Amino acid sequence: MPSNAAVTPSTLSRLDLPWQINWDIHTCTLCGRCTAVCPVNAIELGVFRKRNMTTPFFAEKTRPRSDFSIYYGIRQRTDPGYACVGCSMCNLVCPNNSIEARRSDTFDMLRFHRDRAGQPRTRGGRRNSPDSVLDQIKFIRISMLTDPALDAGRHEFEMRTLIGRILSPAKAINARREKGWIPPVREVYPLLIGGMSFGALSPNMWEGLQMGVAYLNEELNMPVRMCTGEGGCPPRLLRSRFLKYVILQIASGYFGWDEIIHAIPEMKEDPCAVEIKYGQGAKPGDGGLLQWHKVNRLIAAIRGVPPGVSLPSPPTHQTKYSIEEAVAKMIQSMSMAWGFRVPVYPKISASSTSLSVLNNLTRNPYASGLAIDGEDGGTGAAYNVSMNHMGHPVASNIRDCYLNLVKLGMQNELPLIAGGGTGKNGNLAANAAALIMLGASAVQIGKYIMQASAGCLGTEGDRCNICNIGRCPKGITSQDPRLYRRLDPEKVAERVVDVYVAFDTELKKIVAPLGRSTSLPIGMSDALGIAHKSAAERLHIKYVV
Amino acid sequence: MSTLTTISLKGKDSSGRLASRILEERIQEAVRSGAEKIKIEAFGQHGLGGRIFLTDSRQVKIEITGSPGQRVGAMGSPGTSIEVCGPASDDIGWLNAGAEIVVHGYATNGVCNAMAQGRVFIGGNIGSRGMTMTKHNPRFSSPELWVLGSAGDYFAEFMAGGVAVICGFEPQDPDNVLGYRPCVGMVGGRIFFRGPVREYSQADARLVPLNDEDWQWLSENLTLFLSRINKDHLLEKLLVRQEWQCLTARTPMEKIGGKTRSMTEFRTQVWDKELGRGGLIGDLTDLDRSSIPLITTADLRRYVPVWEHRKYTAPCQASCPTGIPVQERWRLIREGKVDEAVDSALAFTPFPASICGYLCPNLCMQGCTKTLGNLKPVDITILGKQGAGSKEPDLPPLSGKKVAVIGGGPAGISAAWQLRLAGHESVVYDLEKVLGGKMSTAIPEQRIPASVLDLELERVRRVIPHVHMGQKLSGKEFEQLKNDYDYVVLAAGAQKPRTIPVPGSERIIPALTFLKQSRQGKQDVGRRVVIIGAGNVGCDVATEAHRLGAEQITLIDIQEPASFGKERQEAERIGASFKYPCFTREVTDEGVVLTTGELIPADTVVISIGDAPELDFLPESLVIDRGFVQVNEINQTSDPKVFAIGDIVRPGLLTDAIGAGRKAALAIDGLIRGKIPDRQTSWLKKYDMEYSETSERIDYSRMTLEYYDPRATDYNDLGGCASQCSSCGVCMDCGICDVICPTGAIERKDLKSGKLERTANPEKCIGCGFCGKCCPCGIWDLVENQPLE
Repeated sequence: MPSNAAVTPSTLSRLDLPWQINWDIHTCTLCGRCTAVCPVNAIELGVFRKRNMTTPFFAEKTRPRSDFSIYYGIRQRTDPGYACVGCSMCNLVCPNNSIEARRSDTFDMLRFHRDRAGQPRTRGGRRNSPDSVLDQIKFIRISMLTDPALDAGRHEFEMRTLIGRILSPAKAINARREKGWIPPVREVYPLLIGGMSFGALSPNMWEGLQMGVAYLNEELNMPVRMCTGEGGCPPRLLRSRFLKYVILQIASGYFGWDEIIHAIPEMKEDPCAVEIKYGQGAKPGDGGLLQWHKVNRLIAAIRGVPPGVSLPSPPTHQTKYSIEEAVAKMIQSMSMAWGFRVPVYPKISASSTSLSVLNNLTRNPYASGLAIDGEDGGTGAAYNVSMNHMGHPVASNIRDCYLNLVKLGMQNELPLIAGGGTGKNGNLAANAAALIMLGASAVQIGKYIMQASAGCLGTEGDRCNICNIGRCPKGITSQDPRLYRRLDPEKVAERVVDVYVAFDTELKKIVAPLGRSTSLPIGMSDALGIAHKSAAERLHIKYVV
Repeated sequence: MSTLTTISLKGKDSSGRLASRILEERIQEAVRSGAEKIKIEAFGQHGLGGRIFLTDSRQVKIEITGSPGQRVGAMGSPGTSIEVCGPASDDIGWLNAGAEIVVHGYATNGVCNAMAQGRVFIGGNIGSRGMTMTKHNPRFSSPELWVLGSAGDYFAEFMAGGVAVICGFEPQDPDNVLGYRPCVGMVGGRIFFRGPVREYSQADARLVPLNDEDWQWLSENLTLFLSRINKDHLLEKLLVRQEWQCLTARTPMEKIGGKTRSMTEFRTQVWDKELGRGGLIGDLTDLDRSSIPLITTADLRRYVPVWEHRKYTAPCQASCPTGIPVQERWRLIREGKVDEAVDSALAFTPFPASICGYLCPNLCMQGCTKTLGNLKPVDITILGKQGAGSKEPDLPPLSGKKVAVIGGGPAGISAAWQLRLAGHESVVYDLEKVLGGKMSTAIPEQRIPASVLDLELERVRRVIPHVHMGQKLSGKEFEQLKNDYDYVVLAAGAQKPRTIPVPGSERIIPALTFLKQSRQGKQDVGRRVVIIGAGNVGCDVATEAHRLGAEQITLIDIQEPASFGKERQEAERIGASFKYPCFTREVTDEGVVLTTGELIPADTVVISIGDAPELDFLPESLVIDRGFVQVNEINQTSDPKVFAIGDIVRPGLLTDAIGAGRKAALAIDGLIRGKIPDRQTSWLKKYDMEYSETSERIDYSRMTLEYYDPRATDYNDLGGCASQCSSCGVCMDCGICDVICPTGAIERKDLKSGKLERTANPEKCIGCGFCGKCCPCGIWDLVENQPLE
């Protein structure tokens, strides 16, 4: 700001910002790449006037003098609207490593000014907290002698799980005998790619994920499944055999569902399942919101809406007035759409009310499972307050639900799918295995696959997290071809494959010592320990120190 | 065949079964005693026949009858040969380091587990996990396992060396001679087998054809094997080359490379094939979605620089109520066109010297961009003063339309001047005897030299010859003027002094009266003067009072005085004191008594709290708002033929009055001609000047001021001023952008008539925005590129 301009309450210094741009005058070549690439225009060319004082020794005859010189460099903007987000793309493009974004180690003041025009901060990403109970869980049961311990590296494993209502043996025998209806069940890989919509993600990202999933299925025999999220599904995918790798999501906005309905008679395959989204861990109680600037022609076509309009989804499904009705009606309708051949399950944000939903589902013969998304889940756009402060941790929620199923004797009948922050600190397999041993039949990931397969820069330290404004520097969450073409779908697909193959090895490393090679240790909580007494008590796992 | 030294041992005696430890001790004792053959009748003892470490060249044969326990021949040594006459229990040949072991029956699980040397011949089937973890130490010959029948499940797990031969004769499962999931984790060795297999670990092992060398080895050794197990007769049946196959471990390189399809192949051969050309959304869009780099040019740039030369108005011009394009005049000076720079002011004001040079608070300088950088604004008064000598412009022929201007002050003269420049005749009427309004009658001469004002008024008279002085208009006369002229412009100013209703108010002299009389030399002031109202007019009064000999001059106000600029400075210079807040209770012959009771002694009391217009002569139909004539945005009154400007509309600066006159004249000219005239094509074009009064003011943040010396505080001449002007909004062709552009994308083009144009070559430009940020004039803007879709 000019030195003589008035200070406003929101006038911030560079040090008041959470991220500071450090620039090196000695190595910078003024190539312009950093300012060209910065997604939020946080940096610009600066013209600087430098005063140099020349003072001779007093014995000399000349007079002291000062001269000005002009130099050019990169200046960080301090306007809160242009605060650096720490993505470090500037560093990535800098040929001389002359610029970098550094997280301030002092308390930033920007947080008090992110409400211009009374609009609270919105962002993408996850809860800005690196805490993770899952990370603290240890696998303490190493069955060296008591069970046949297996070698994760060399033994063959079949890591599979079931999505669908599994009848108890008595009921199954009965149903067969009486030629009754047997609910559909899918045998799938226990790590699912959770719902991220076409729209929230760029076309190249979405295609890359789907391609990677198809490759895992068809080339590596890993039955990985991916959920569409609430944004419809490209017509070609609906009519391809790859649809069987897809979990179609229906959420409160019902975007793209007329296209899906039109495609039903032309489908070569049934989808893997239908997920009814009632809630999302990242922003419980809030619906999706795709801003108008992301709704270009392509997105509009897939969602079945006119281009250039904002697409809000209501927080809840309309026309449903009680939990019984809400769940039963939706599950019935969605099951009926594919002749009761496709598993249908609801997805809710983890909540103190999860048990009520679960209990309701246990009484509904068409319910194929329950997906629970914990507070650490990610999203493309949400209010900061929802993301940071709303929701329930997934670990205890899954545990409560599982133990409730145990109480009902139904733990093998209604699969639980856990999600939300799995692998948030990079420990994907450990987190997933912990959730499985706490009682989940499968685990959903979102942010992790963006980070690992596409180089998403978002962190729990509030780095980048601008998915909501369509300026994703990696082209993951942008609908602008100038950005999403930075992402090659093939390379994303390759990374998806790497992630899954590596995850598979790690998961085996965890389950092999338990002697498991053909069935997942779902609910095998005697294998878990934690060095935190109250967490151990709460989760009914061992307290180990 | 020589007779061997034979010792017989029994696993059970009269006291019962011998412990494995006791039998082992007896075997070792027998070996030490020189036995060449040890016959053992076993009773479940562990590890029989192993660990016979011979120091001589002797061979020791162990013949086991009965029921051997687990791990027969464990850690077996070279020189030991073991013959089990019936079936064998688990782990036979475990960690075998060289013994030859023959079993004339089935062997259970774990045959040869971890065997490293030696040979094991099994005359039947084996159980699960046979030949697991076997090694081949290059110092010794490779270990071998020969099985007449079939292998059980998990055969050859983690096999790391050696050879296994599974003959598949009368196998346990006729459909599968290698059991469930063989070869998992196999990293070395070979497995020859005969008969069908259901599966094996493709990741670890691969089938290879038998070559002649293999076949020769197999044939020779098969003969030996069959002879050992006393089944020579099977040779012919087993020796059928095409029935044999071989599994070998994959090398680490084979495992890593795999035979998986590349993603590119998958995309073309599987993905696009199933979905169609263009993949997932090829049917919905034909947009190119191929990879691009982070730094892009042309259509793929996120931002595009735009050269916005003359798109915006410079702040100086925008701040000037008269609307003078100050920055253009400095440009003319930089170009050496000093006369044009000076004279062109007459296109905007009849008083460039009197007002710009002397009387104006110079809002252009207050608005100057340079003040934002703590820099001294360019001094317009130097340029203004030079205007005194400018010749009047050439006048266009008269249009025949006539406009009456009531009031010969700055507003009226400005309107008449502009109307005449536009070709319309204007006639000025005024009450006073001299032209110029308050400039001539009320403003102290210290502030404006009479010679300068006279020069300019002379010039005005040459342009507006019809001036009727000393005319006081009645309502009737006003109506007459309206009929006689096409338009009437009201510019009568504010003549009626405001005063305050306090006792003794009749003792107070209105400021305007005071100033007029003092200019005429008719005002007597005494020693002490109190001025109620410390605004700029009050300051003028103070200055005049001082000139007339007052010694103690006090300006009082009810609030912090609003005076500023030259008037205030002058009042302070002559030693006037300012006092506030002061509320007058009464005025007596001693002076001003405040509500606090304080008396400020005064010989003369002047009030300068503003003046109100005299509106008596106006028809009642004309809309008046709180004592002033109401006008619209083009200064038209409620009567469309009547315009009003200057203090009769609202009190203002001289420059406000000049600007309002111009605006009204422009509007009248437009009404007469039926269109808004194009200023560029009219008389203004005689100057090399581009002018727009419709464009928006340029945003201050666009200019870069670091190029100016912050120490420059005084401007002495026109050239010095011009060099310090930042030329806001108008390119001054400094060339900095051309040079800073990292990709050399900026191209300068000479247009005809000395004009120029800059563009950023899209093929080179990366949209970094450097051009905009370095520009002193704020010409380049960086805008988002057109959406691609």
